[in-house]
Amino acid sequence: MEAKFADAEKLFDRLKSAFVAQDYETSITLLSQLKVKLTEFSGLPPLYRQTPTQVQELVLARSILEYAVILSVKTEDQESFERHFLQLKPYYTDTRQLISRSSEEYPILGLNLLRLLVQNRIAEFHTELELLPPEALDDVCLKHAIELEQSFMEGAYNRVLNARQAFPHETYLYFMDLLAKTVRDEIAGCSEKAFDFLTVADAKKILMFSSDQELLKYAAESALVPDTKELLIQCQRSRILRCFLPDEHPDWEIQKGILYFQKVKELAPCKEIPSLQMINQTLGYARELERIV
Amino acid sequence: MFAFLPLRCVYTNLKNVAALVEKGVVSKEMRLMVRAMRHVMSIRRKLKGPTVVSFLKSTLPSGSDALSRLLPYVSKEEEIGMDIDTPSSALHVSSHKQSILPELEIFTYLLVLIFLLDKKSYDKAKACSSGAIKRLQQLNRRTLDVLAARIYFYYSYSYELTNSLAEIRGTLLLLHRTATLHHDELGQETLLNLLLRNYLHYNLYDQAEKLRSKTQRAESHSHQQLCRYLYYLGRIRTIQLEYTDAKDSLMQAARKAPLSASGFRIQCNKWAAIVRLLLGEIPERTTFMQPGMRKALRPYFELTNAVRIGDLELFRQVAEKFSSTFYTDKTHNLIVRLRHNVIRTGLRNISISYSRISLTDVAAKLHLVSATPVDDAESIVTKAIRDGGIDAIVDHANGWMQSKETGDIYSTQEPQLAFHSRIAFCLNTHNEAVKALRFPPNAHKKELESAEKRRERQQQEQELAKHIAEEDDDEF
Repeated sequence: MEAKFADAEKLFDRLKSAFVAQDYETSITLLSQLKVKLTEFSGLPPLYRQTPTQVQELVLARSILEYAVILSVKTEDQESFERHFLQLKPYYTDTRQLISRSSEEYPILGLNLLRLLVQNRIAEFHTELELLPPEALDDVCLKHAIELEQSFMEGAYNRVLNARQAFPHETYLYFMDLLAKTVRDEIAGCSEKAFDFLTVADAKKILMFSSDQELLKYAAESALVPDTKELLIQCQRSRILRCFLPDEHPDWEIQKGILYFQKVKELAPCKEIPSLQMINQTLGYARELERIV
Repeated sequence: MFAFLPLRCVYTNLKNVAALVEKGVVSKEMRLMVRAMRHVMSIRRKLKGPTVVSFLKSTLPSGSDALSRLLPYVSKEEEIGMDIDTPSSALHVSSHKQSILPELEIFTYLLVLIFLLDKKSYDKAKACSSGAIKRLQQLNRRTLDVLAARIYFYYSYSYELTNSLAEIRGTLLLLHRTATLHHDELGQETLLNLLLRNYLHYNLYDQAEKLRSKTQRAESHSHQQLCRYLYYLGRIRTIQLEYTDAKDSLMQAARKAPLSASGFRIQCNKWAAIVRLLLGEIPERTTFMQPGMRKALRPYFELTNAVRIGDLELFRQVAEKFSSTFYTDKTHNLIVRLRHNVIRTGLRNISISYSRISLTDVAAKLHLVSATPVDDAESIVTKAIRDGGIDAIVDHANGWMQSKETGDIYSTQEPQLAFHSRIAFCLNTHNEAVKALRFPPNAHKKELESAEKRRERQQQEQELAKHIAEEDDDEF
C-alpha cells in the first residue's frame, strides 16, 4: 500500500513539473496514468474504506483532480472540465469531516460557476449556488462570478466587460473571453432595438471594439454570400457600406460614419387576424364544454 | 368523542383504539386504521408513562421480543414522570395472549415512538424508530401500510431532530424500493416526500429533482402527503427558475393545506410571495394579513413594498434588516435575484411618468451605485427595451430616453388573450368540481321501503286483486 502510494506521489510530481513547463501533451498522458493508479486506492470515494493512508490518499486524489481541472482550462476543453469537476465535487462536499479544506476549492468553484454562465445554463448555476455555505459568498473568486451573473441578468453589460480586466485568477481568462463574446452579441441585439442610429465612434465604445475595422467586420459577420464580402472589402475605401445580414443583424447600414440600425420600418398594425390560433382556441372551448368528465 | 374523557380513561381509549385496529385487520378496511390513527393523535397529549407501560403489558404477550425492547424506553420515563394518579396501578394486567397480530405490535412501537417524541427524548426515539424499521422490514402485510407510513414519518422526524438526516438516506431509498415492489402506494408516497425533504434539507436540489422526475407517482392516498409533495415540488421549481410551475404548485399547496397546519401554510405563503415577485406580479396586501401569519410574513410584506415602489435603496435596506430570517427560510438567494425585478419596476415607473428623461437622472432615480452609473443605466435601459419591459428609444448623442406613445390596447390581441386564460381556468375548475362530486352518503336508503310499508303495500295489492277478481265475477 505504501509503495503504491509513493509511486503515485512520484508520478504526481512529474505531472506538476510538466504542467509548470507548459508541456500539455505529457501532462495529459501522465494524468491518465495517475487516474489508473488512483483506482487502486480504496480509501477514495465511492468506497471510503478506512485505510491507514486514507487521509493522504484523499488529499493526493483531490490535488490530482484539481490539476486535471486547471489543465482542461488551459487546453480549452470544456467537456473534460465538466467531467473532472464532477469527479472532484464529492471531495469538496462529502469529505469535509475527513480532510481540511483545499486552498484551490473556491477558485475552482468560481470557475465552474463561470463556465455555467458562459454556457447559459442559468438553472444549474443557481442550483450550484444553493450548495454554497454563506461564508463562501465572501470569497473573492465566488463573489466575482456571482456579481457577473447579476450584472448579466440586469443588463449592465458594460460592467461585465469591465470585469474582464479585474479577474481574480489567471485561469479565468479563457472563460472571460467567451463571456465577452456572448455579451457583445447581447449588446448588439439590445442596441438595435433601442437606438435609431449611433455614430461609429459611439458604437465602438458600446460594443467595446478597439478599432473601426473590428466593428465593420463584426457588422458584416453573418454575410452568407461570398462575393458580397469582396464587395465589402472594395467598398471599404469609399466608406459606404451595405451589409446584408439575413438573421442576426438585419440592415445595419453604415453611411458617412453613422451606423443605422433597422431602418424605421413602421410595421403597420397587423391587420391580419391570427385565424389559426382563434380556431384552435374555439375548438378547445367546444371540446371542454361537451366533455363528460 | 374521546377528547373529553378523564385521565384514567386514557388506558380505556388505548384499548379501544387497539380493538379498532384489530377490527380493521379482520375486515381489511383501511378506513378503520386511519380512524384509529386519528384517535391516537387526539389522546397523545395525555399519555403518561405508567399508562403506556400498562397498555404495553396488557397488549403484547409477556416474554415477546417487542415487549422486552420497548419496556426499557418507557420505564425510564415512568421514573421521571411519576404522577399522582394511582388508580392506573390497578390496571396492571398481564396479557393472556400467546401470539399477537403484527399490526398491534407495530401499533405499540408507534405509540412508544410518539410518546418519546412528545417527551423530547430524541435519542431514545431515534433508537426506537430504528428498531421499528427493522421489524417492519421483516413483515409484508398490506394491512400494515397505514401504520408503516406513520412509522416512516416519525423515523425521519426523530433523525431530523437530532441533525443526522444524512445517515438514513440509504435506508429510506431501500424502503422506497420495497414499497414500490409491494405496490404499497401510501408508503411510496410518504417515503418519496421524506426523501425529498431529506435532500432539500441539505440544499441538494439537483438530486431531489433527479429522484422526483424518475419516480412514478400513483394517485394520492393522503391529503397531507399531497400538500407536502406540492410544496417540495414548488421549491425545486423555484430554484430551477421555472417560476410559473412553481407558483401553481405553491399556491395549490397553500390552499389545500388544512387550517390547523399553520406553520406549513406560513412557509408556503412565504415562498409563493417570492415566486410571484420574481414573476413580476405584486401579491395583494390581504395575502400578508391573514390571521395568525401577520408577524411571520412581515419581512416579505416589506420586501413586496420595496419591489412595488421600485426603489433599490429601500430594497437593499429591507434585505439587510431581515437577512437572518431569509437565511433560515433558505430564500436568501432568491431575494438576491429580485434586484433585477426592482430595477425593472423602477424603470417602468419612470418610463410611464416621463416622456423624455436624461440618462443621468434615470441612474439617480434608480439609485444605481457603481463606477459608471450612466453607462450602466444605458445598458439596463436597452436590455429592458429589448425584453419588452418598457416601450422607449434611447438617443445616445443627447443622452436621453424617450418613451413611445402607448396605443389603444383594445385594438390589439390583449383582451382576447386575457379572456382565453380566464376561460381556460373556469373550464378547468368546472371539470375538477364535477370530478369531486360525491353522492350524499345515505341517499339510497331513503328509497328503500321499511318492512311495514312493504307489508302495507302488499296488502293493498292483494285487496286490489280481490276487487278486480270480484268485479270480473260480478260481470259474469
